Amino acid sequence: MARRLLLLCAGYVLLLAAGWWTSAATPSSAVRRTPALLSPEARLLALERDNGCLDTASPAAIQSWPDWAAAHIAGGDIAPSRVVSDPYPTLHSVAVDADHDRVIVTDPNRHAIWAYERTASSKGAEAVTALAGIRGPSTGMMFIAAVALDPRAKEIYTVDNDIGDRLMVFPYDVDGNVKPKRVLSVPHQAWGISINPARREIAVSVEGPREIVVYAQDASGTDRPLRMIRGPKTGLGDPHGVVFDGVNNEIVVANHGNQNGRQTAPGSVSGGRRGGGEGGAAPIVGGRFEEPSITVYPGEATGDVAPVRRIQGTKTGLNWPMAISVDAAHDEVAVANSGDSSIRIFGRAADGDVAPVRVIKGPRTGIRGPMGVAIDAKNDELWIANYGDHTALVFARTASGDVAPRRILRNAPEGAPTVGFGNPGAVAYDSKRDEILVPN
Amino acid sequence: MSEPRISAFARLANGNAKPTRVIAGQTARVSRTMHGLFYNAKNDEIVVPVALGGAILTLPGGANGGAPPLRIIQGPKTGLVQPDTLYVDVLHDEIVADSGNDSVVVFPRTASGDIEPIRTLGGPKTQISNIYGIAVDAVHNLIVVGNRVDTGGRTSQDAILIFNRTDTGDVAPRGIITGPRTGIIKIRQVVVDEDRAQIFATIKNNFENYEFEQERPSPWNPDRTGFIGVWSITDNGDVPPRGVIKGPATGLVWPAGVAINPVNGEVYAIDSVSNALFMFRVPEFFKRPPSMSDGGRR
Repeated sequence: MARRLLLLCAGYVLLLAAGWWTSAATPSSAVRRTPALLSPEARLLALERDNGCLDTASPAAIQSWPDWAAAHIAGGDIAPSRVVSDPYPTLHSVAVDADHDRVIVTDPNRHAIWAYERTASSKGAEAVTALAGIRGPSTGMMFIAAVALDPRAKEIYTVDNDIGDRLMVFPYDVDGNVKPKRVLSVPHQAWGISINPARREIAVSVEGPREIVVYAQDASGTDRPLRMIRGPKTGLGDPHGVVFDGVNNEIVVANHGNQNGRQTAPGSVSGGRRGGGEGGAAPIVGGRFEEPSITVYPGEATGDVAPVRRIQGTKTGLNWPMAISVDAAHDEVAVANSGDSSIRIFGRAADGDVAPVRVIKGPRTGIRGPMGVAIDAKNDELWIANYGDHTALVFARTASGDVAPRRILRNAPEGAPTVGFGNPGAVAYDSKRDEILVPN
Repeated sequence: MSEPRISAFARLANGNAKPTRVIAGQTARVSRTMHGLFYNAKNDEIVVPVALGGAILTLPGGANGGAPPLRIIQGPKTGLVQPDTLYVDVLHDEIVADSGNDSVVVFPRTASGDIEPIRTLGGPKTQISNIYGIAVDAVHNLIVVGNRVDTGGRTSQDAILIFNRTDTGDVAPRGIITGPRTGIIKIRQVVVDEDRAQIFATIKNNFENYEFEQERPSPWNPDRTGFIGVWSITDNGDVPPRGVIKGPATGLVWPAGVAINPVNGEVYAIDSVSNALFMFRVPEFFKRPPSMSDGGRR
């Protein structure tokens, strides 16, 4: 650190003496280059440490530089004056294995999967230590979204929503920076994932292309999908959560309703090896904002098929429906309604503009921007992953109204702010309010 | 990306900071893939593209929660397919946007509904292929395009394309900053410092590959960290940046966005891999007096 400060001060002195953007500007030879001494994993961890996200020290990373030897370049390797970053996990999705008493959550902030005892909870303001954390370069995880479990094989499934574009499978008993047991290349913007144990198939929802892609459960590498639901009749619009209901042989999908300016290309797996792709020949029809919905398809549906049921309309209260969970034992569907910080439970066979049978919402619930939801029918509980707070909440399955959770699982001390970045892609300065705007 | 929202932070925020407000929810209409947004101080408005809805939103400057947009540009006449980024020319009262269909489209700032653009810039002569950044220098009458040409590896044809502000149709750029000495690999958001005639560009400098039929390289390789590069609006060809923010001390891994605050001598960078907002105090970047006569490297 002392060396860094010394270099930084020296750099500033040089810049001030030379002036910016003149022929006497700081030569590029003053720009620091750090030798390569560490493995890629160690270098990445060093970078995260520098961002305040790790507590173990590591040497700095190697850099590669273009041929700038003869150029006069100002600036250089400058330490930031301020950094906004969240060192704690930010929960996206949750899955429960009641048979093995495990709860698994995904964390797109620190690119990790965390495992907890099913009954773990915070007694007060403290964070709960995870049983295991899967993270690091070897995992291949980037901006992971949903998670699904195979209790029989004791496997964890997750998908990258961005950059990685992979489905990854890990055994229950791994911890740390480990390679996945299997990797499957999936379309860009995958969000939801669900396993149908009866069919031994996986359904993956994909946002922009507006499609549900179905693979064999043991697919890996560049295996092609078995089939795909896609096209204007499907009613799919920016799909998020998906459940492949093995009991009722149905695929249930939560849609935000966004339709971009190009018509979805109808069809099944013809779009390419992994499924996906908008198809350059599809006509431009103009963008639309449709109402959010829950759409349901037969398990074997393929191509441009209309849903057999659709929950949609003002009575539903749907507002950015994210993950969904189907309770086949009680014939209910739970929806993480992120837009109004509620959980909405509908009858599984509900159709049309219908009100939910129960809503969990209000200040006592602690629900803040939920992304994940999972029903544990065996223990009669309902789990919620809060994206807007560092908590997972456990309610009685039949909870309704403004009720306190039965248990709170914190992954940060109570009151720790949640920054909420998830692959942020731009920045702007609001000079009127002296604020910085950051979109995910 | 999988959690669409616009978060606001106090400029002096540091560490694990709580946003002062968050714009999110069905009624706000925002979606993932916001690769650009613009705060218009003159009219106190936030303008943002909606890639998944083929739309441009104008939100109140102080929008919070699910505040609905003041105006929405959307529909088949607009030519908007999947817009990723945009800029507002405050001086000429225009929104300049990526159409998501390899072209730049220009609308009146107050446009709403399904209307045709007043100008469209695209075609083979323009070299516009995949827009990741747009900026306007209204003082010098220029449009700056951060253009990406996916080659699937470390070679790059990514470029900063510079057009006359009122260019329309299929016209060649007046300047192209590209080549190995630029260091431009995977360009993202660009902004212009009109007073000093500078372009600030975000360079991810790592290759992600979304080509449908190809394998994905690992994005975890910190050998190839990105940077913020500064060029003159008069630069042309394979020229190094005039200034950089780059290296291990910066903390930048994959910078995806850049904004400037000349009054406070600051540059802001958002980093996608490390999920962090970096604020750099670099007053030397803003000391140069407004001028076009900078040695003429074109």
